[in-house]
Amino acid sequence: MEPITTEIAVLGAGPGGYTAAFYAADKGKKVILVEQNPRLGGVCLNVGCIPSKALLHATDIFREAKDSARRGIDFGSPKVDLEKLRAWKESILDKLGQGIRSLAEHRKVQIIYGRGHFEDSQTLRVETNDGQKFIRYEKAIIAVGSKPTMPHAFDLGNKRVMTSTEALELPDIPENLLVVGGGYIGMEIGTVYAALGSNVVVLEALPSILTGVDADLVRPVARAAQKAFQAIRLNTKVLKMATAGKQIKVTIEIDKQPREEHYDRVLVSVGRSPNLTDLGLENTKAVKDDKGFIQCNDQQQTDDPHIYAIGDANGGALLAHRASKEAKIAVEAMLGESSTFENVIIPAVVYTHPEVAWCGLTETEAKQKGIEIKVARFPWGASGRALTLDRPDGLTKLIIEPETERILGVGIAGAGAGELISEGVLAVEMGATARDLADSVHPHPTLSETLMEAAESFFGTATHTVSRRE
Amino acid sequence: MDVKLPQLAEGVEGGTVVGILVGEGQEIKKDQPFMELETQKAVGSIPAPVSGVVTKIYVKQGAEVMVGQPLIAIDTGAAKAALSPLKSAERAPASVRTDASSSAAQMEPVPSGALNEFRYESKSGIPPPAAPSIRKIARDLDIDLNRVKGSEAGGRITLADLRAYIQRLQQLALERIPAARTLAPSTPPVTASTDQVDFAKWGPIRREKMSPLRRTVSRRMIESWTTVPKINQFGDADITALMALRKKYAATYQKKGAHLTLTAILLSVLGRALKKHPRANASIDGSGLEIVFKDYYHIGVAVDTEGGLIVPIVRDVDKKNLLQLSQELQATVEKTRQRKISVEELQGGTFTISNQGSIGSGHFTPIIYAPQVAILGVGQGQAKPVAIDSKIAVRMMLPLCLAYDHRVLDGADAVRFLKDIIAGLEGFGEAEIKLK
Repeated sequence: MEPITTEIAVLGAGPGGYTAAFYAADKGKKVILVEQNPRLGGVCLNVGCIPSKALLHATDIFREAKDSARRGIDFGSPKVDLEKLRAWKESILDKLGQGIRSLAEHRKVQIIYGRGHFEDSQTLRVETNDGQKFIRYEKAIIAVGSKPTMPHAFDLGNKRVMTSTEALELPDIPENLLVVGGGYIGMEIGTVYAALGSNVVVLEALPSILTGVDADLVRPVARAAQKAFQAIRLNTKVLKMATAGKQIKVTIEIDKQPREEHYDRVLVSVGRSPNLTDLGLENTKAVKDDKGFIQCNDQQQTDDPHIYAIGDANGGALLAHRASKEAKIAVEAMLGESSTFENVIIPAVVYTHPEVAWCGLTETEAKQKGIEIKVARFPWGASGRALTLDRPDGLTKLIIEPETERILGVGIAGAGAGELISEGVLAVEMGATARDLADSVHPHPTLSETLMEAAESFFGTATHTVSRRE
Repeated sequence: MDVKLPQLAEGVEGGTVVGILVGEGQEIKKDQPFMELETQKAVGSIPAPVSGVVTKIYVKQGAEVMVGQPLIAIDTGAAKAALSPLKSAERAPASVRTDASSSAAQMEPVPSGALNEFRYESKSGIPPPAAPSIRKIARDLDIDLNRVKGSEAGGRITLADLRAYIQRLQQLALERIPAARTLAPSTPPVTASTDQVDFAKWGPIRREKMSPLRRTVSRRMIESWTTVPKINQFGDADITALMALRKKYAATYQKKGAHLTLTAILLSVLGRALKKHPRANASIDGSGLEIVFKDYYHIGVAVDTEGGLIVPIVRDVDKKNLLQLSQELQATVEKTRQRKISVEELQGGTFTISNQGSIGSGHFTPIIYAPQVAILGVGQGQAKPVAIDSKIAVRMMLPLCLAYDHRVLDGADAVRFLKDIIAGLEGFGEAEIKLK
């Protein structure tokens, strides 16, 4: 059978893959995009960022309505129509998936639906509904994404033990939900179910939820979660799970004592692993690193000169916007440009209640690496805007290089932190100093002022706090 | 802090290190000389700008250095702690730390020519601050931003900083072309047409590095030769009477510790002649649109030294009597021969005398010392048969040549000026020689 020839083949149509395909097409390349899911958009759009944020927004109204009563506006008790909620969420995914498809059509990017498999360094076999198709390409970009890790011990073949993928389908509102893993996925989905009325218990093996995030940024989240959730158990492990009728019997270890508990559903959110099985990587020169992700350099090139890899398949921070940035770097590298991922600032946002967002150097990282820094903080309790929003549970902090006063990192916990962090990204990328930020007028009253005031507090002159002077 | 070669004088771009007067780890006081430098036409010492401890000497004896280049590093912080020498030695390597004083030093603009000195250092190990767009340009051009000094707050590198860095690279690259090797980047190459001829093809050769002095002379000559439209005006002065007077008073001057020389007399004569012919004492403004007339009369006297030609200045010749001029000339020449003359003492001349009489020259055509507009070439006075009132007489005749810039002086001006010089010599009165 005659293979289809193309300049660039992109495997996977998530935010990495479709960005790469579109950018390459915009740069005049002939591109084929291979995707096994009939709805484009990958993990992010189908089972990740988008559905989770839709549900977080929808269910946050519950909390808002409850909080509103004490401000003098009482909505009574809201009712949930799960079917309608699911349909609304699905409508967003369909709309976005359709949007990507039409953007591809406009760029004349050919989409082949089916599962791809590398035959050799320059040939992809795709299993489509119409049989096998072969694609002969000059360069390929692997953007196959990742899937939730399900440890064997928890894999009971019982639908009540869910990963994030199933949990976002919202099968029902369990009375008791156990979340195994207090990372951002567990905390976000736990927040959704807690808002819908589930008794949520979070188990975390490590001493803190959101491990790796600066402790002062985690604190407001932990405090709110302790109220919203039934319990957060740190330093706790799951020893065993078993089906027990319509429930799951979970054996956990607390203070070295085993304890049995019953839950209607369990969410396992202990990490994600790359979709590299049965990809035919062994037929190429691309190799995996010791964690099982594809190894590639700062220009996204794998060990195979014809193959690039981007996004979750490479490991590191599994974030859609990182995949999109890598997509552009990969395409530019193919075109002979000098683009590199080196020193690119990738912000991170956790959509908990309140949100946490950070970029650049964190206090934790500075401590680990022995980098001397100064930290300027502005608590939201001193922000007029935060009080009018009834959300004083926040903190804005700047990580500053002492000699140059340059801003190396920004961390924010608080309502809308995800929207606020981009100013921090710009500051870090531009090499802005605390003075630059302090001297840029921020509108009042807004939450963005907290960035300016944090910078002012570095100089001991923040208007709305009394700073400790050195 | 790094001590860089300061701007020693206008137009002096660098020199050769002939002596290093301090050692690493040694304490140094403000204004204490730490290095001797041969710059163009003088050997001078460079004083320390601050007190402290010398932590590093960047240059070696014999090295050529340029203005702005770091010569030594002085740890000023160590000065206070330098009571115990051991302690100061311990602290010495710490000068690279970015404490308050040295980070202030980092903010100074990078002088041209100093490329290797800068290296971005951050304790955090984070690369230098620059916008993504600037980093992209640097990557595309394969420029290491760690070597580019940022001018903005926190050391942020702007497009202008990157541009300046690249321009300096280019400039330095041009300067390194051997045929064009000169201290002044903007002047034409010293050897215009003799690029890389293999002289050894025709016989044994010997190469000698041109000294900074030789290079300066070479550059100045090309400048003058290629930019000044020059005319040579010849003349002879009958100095028979003058020589008699000189013989009569030589011993008197000797007692005052002065040689009564023809050059000293010429200084006196020229003081008057230049006053009468101000255009010969003028210069063309750098813009080329104005003539600058100078109400001072500083005459350069070409001195033949071991190192080559040097032209020190005798100032205000119109205000000094012959004894003063003789004494000053003698002292200046002596100082010049010993290479103790400062760069400042070589600057500001308005006219030049090149007297080759002592080595037996006849007429010759000197090159104008731009931006001056005229020079007087003086040969050896010789007894010659001269017709006076239709009778042949033997007279002592002095060969003179006035070379002048035709942009400023016309032929008639020059002739009148030279005739006044000759008249000044021929009619030099005893009253002026006689000591009161």
